[in-house]
Amino acid sequence: MSPFAWHPRPMSEKNLVELVIGVTLLLFLAVFPVFGVGYWVSFVLTQTFLIGIAAASLVFLTAYGGMVSLAQTALYGISAFALGNMVTKGAVKGLHLGLDPWLAVVLAIAITTAIGLVFGAVASRSAGIYFLMITLTYAVIAFTFFGQVTQVSGFSGIAGIADRTPALVGDPVTQPNRLYYIALVTALVVYFAIRHVVRTPFGISLQGVRDDPVRMGSLGYNVALHRTLAFTFAAFIASLAGVLYGWWNGVIAPDNVGLGATVDLLIVAVIGGLGRVEGAWLGAFAFVVINNYVRDVSVPVLGGSFNTVIGLIFLAIVIVSPSGLMGLWDRLWDAAGYREGSGPRAAAAAGTAGPQA
Amino acid sequence: MTEAAAHAESAEPILRLRGVGRRFGGLHAVSDVDLDVIPGERRAILGPNGAGKTTLFNVVAGDLPVTSGRIELFGRDVTREPARQRAKLGLARSYQQSRLFLGLSVEDNIFLAIVGVGRGHLRPVVLPRKDAELRARAREAARRAAIDGRLGDVVGALAHGEHRQVALAMALAAEPKLLMLDEPASGLSRGERQLLTELLLALDADITLILIEHDMDIALRVAERVTMMHEGRVIVEGTPAEIRANQLVHDLYLGSHYGSEPEGGASG
Ligand SMILES: Nc1ncnc2c1ncn2[C@@H]1O[C@H](COP(=O)(O)OP(=O)(O)OP(=O)(O)O)[C@@H](O)[C@H]1O
Ligand SMILES: [Mg+2]
Repeated sequence: MSPFAWHPRPMSEKNLVELVIGVTLLLFLAVFPVFGVGYWVSFVLTQTFLIGIAAASLVFLTAYGGMVSLAQTALYGISAFALGNMVTKGAVKGLHLGLDPWLAVVLAIAITTAIGLVFGAVASRSAGIYFLMITLTYAVIAFTFFGQVTQVSGFSGIAGIADRTPALVGDPVTQPNRLYYIALVTALVVYFAIRHVVRTPFGISLQGVRDDPVRMGSLGYNVALHRTLAFTFAAFIASLAGVLYGWWNGVIAPDNVGLGATVDLLIVAVIGGLGRVEGAWLGAFAFVVINNYVRDVSVPVLGGSFNTVIGLIFLAIVIVSPSGLMGLWDRLWDAAGYREGSGPRAAAAAGTAGPQA
Repeated sequence: MTEAAAHAESAEPILRLRGVGRRFGGLHAVSDVDLDVIPGERRAILGPNGAGKTTLFNVVAGDLPVTSGRIELFGRDVTREPARQRAKLGLARSYQQSRLFLGLSVEDNIFLAIVGVGRGHLRPVVLPRKDAELRARAREAARRAAIDGRLGDVVGALAHGEHRQVALAMALAAEPKLLMLDEPASGLSRGERQLLTELLLALDADITLILIEHDMDIALRVAERVTMMHEGRVIVEGTPAEIRANQLVHDLYLGSHYGSEPEGGASG
């Protein structure tokens, strides 16, 4: 069975447990800024939400379309650059068009989605390693473009994006709770949108394309079109993360879309688990926390850099659970089910028949 | 050939092949095949292993391009059209090695077969009424193929025989005008074969069926006409009785296959 497959089933005991955990977590996150430490609100969690959105676009493509895209960082960078160029004014780098903040948001999303459509159309005829290479090319093109074309960026990037947010968002520095809630709600909308789409004819046929594209052709589907539109949808999701990142960071620079950042997003998705959308935020959280708290830990022989630590954790996860932290949870649940012996839980965990309601 | 010509005159064929060939490098898997199948006909294609039967299916369905010749489907030249266009015209096929969507449930697999030939491939929203109707059709097809007990199960977890049933359900669910089954009985138990035969015999009269089958009992009971292939060519075409009586067929094929299935003779 494909390790990327995620199968909807009738509400099982596991679904119920996950639902309870999910709702509890959500309630906790909803009230967190009231009593939480400001640093955790503005830095750790807001960042987790927005990186998770970008990672979710990758998990969606991988889990449901069988397409491992290296272009998601480039796409969210394009969105942030577009926003920066359109919204800023005065003595900053870029085009500083000084557009209305909301108009700039809409245009940034539209431009990124349109570029996603073009990127997707070109990449849609390839699969596997070739698809990976084409999307890597997109990443390199984006990095080179923003590094070289100084009219729209320059190496220090575009600053001052946070000064030109819509009134609703306010000033992310002095009013961090607003961006926190906006990022949280956006993440939830993205999560439920993906969960919805994968149950629709488009989403189910995308999973068909993942499992056997040739067969999908002989059933009457236009496989290339399906792949293109899935890629476009993922670009749209990434563009949301880009807008949030622009507001949150205030600056967008070519380094944010460099190969390092591209690999980071892949690591986030793999740590969380490429099989389930929830994994995107789990991976983002792990990444941000490691980034902040583990970077001073020194590894014998290898030294103490963040890259060493995250690299070792990455290695451990890939070896222990190829489907990431979400996969680890799935396996722990299965193991618990087996230990309890027979019963519906064990049957459901075995991934076979089981009494279906 | 005169026989084929006489047969073809009886009605406008639903499938017409002229000089169809398919090479793999130097290997002529299919060469110079002429074939006419009329609407509602039950046609069996027989032949020893490597005769080119599956390759013929592949070029007719559009999964492989021809290297020569011309294919007309429902009166239309489809030689250059992709598989998905032919599916939309009303052609459904099954595969010798089941090709299913292993990460999806049985019901979703059949659902895809139905949506594929209809509209709304790209619909990104759930429409409860519409989806319920499509799923009811999927479940009905599952019932006909006797796989309705496993609707919610992931196909990757099913047994081989069940895969064949899912494949059959998918082919039926598309409500094709032309149904092409590649060895649907292979790997089935005796009881499952009986069910399959009954299902094929009870198929709607206006569905045209082309069947590749090594099980002579099934093939000769279901088919009205038989095409015998050997080394990529059609060597004999006729009614089941004519095929049984043909010496060449016996020498090349029936001697080994038919003789070993005593109950096949009794059925005829
Ligand atoms: N994709 C391919 N590439 C190369 N050779 C192929 C390919 N498909 C089929 N062949 C060859 O073409 C010939 C005909 O194969 P085909 O599968 O059509 O036979 P068949 O009549 O279906 O046989 P069987 O009864 O074993 O299924 C064989 O020699 C086979 O090896
Ligand atoms: Mg074959």
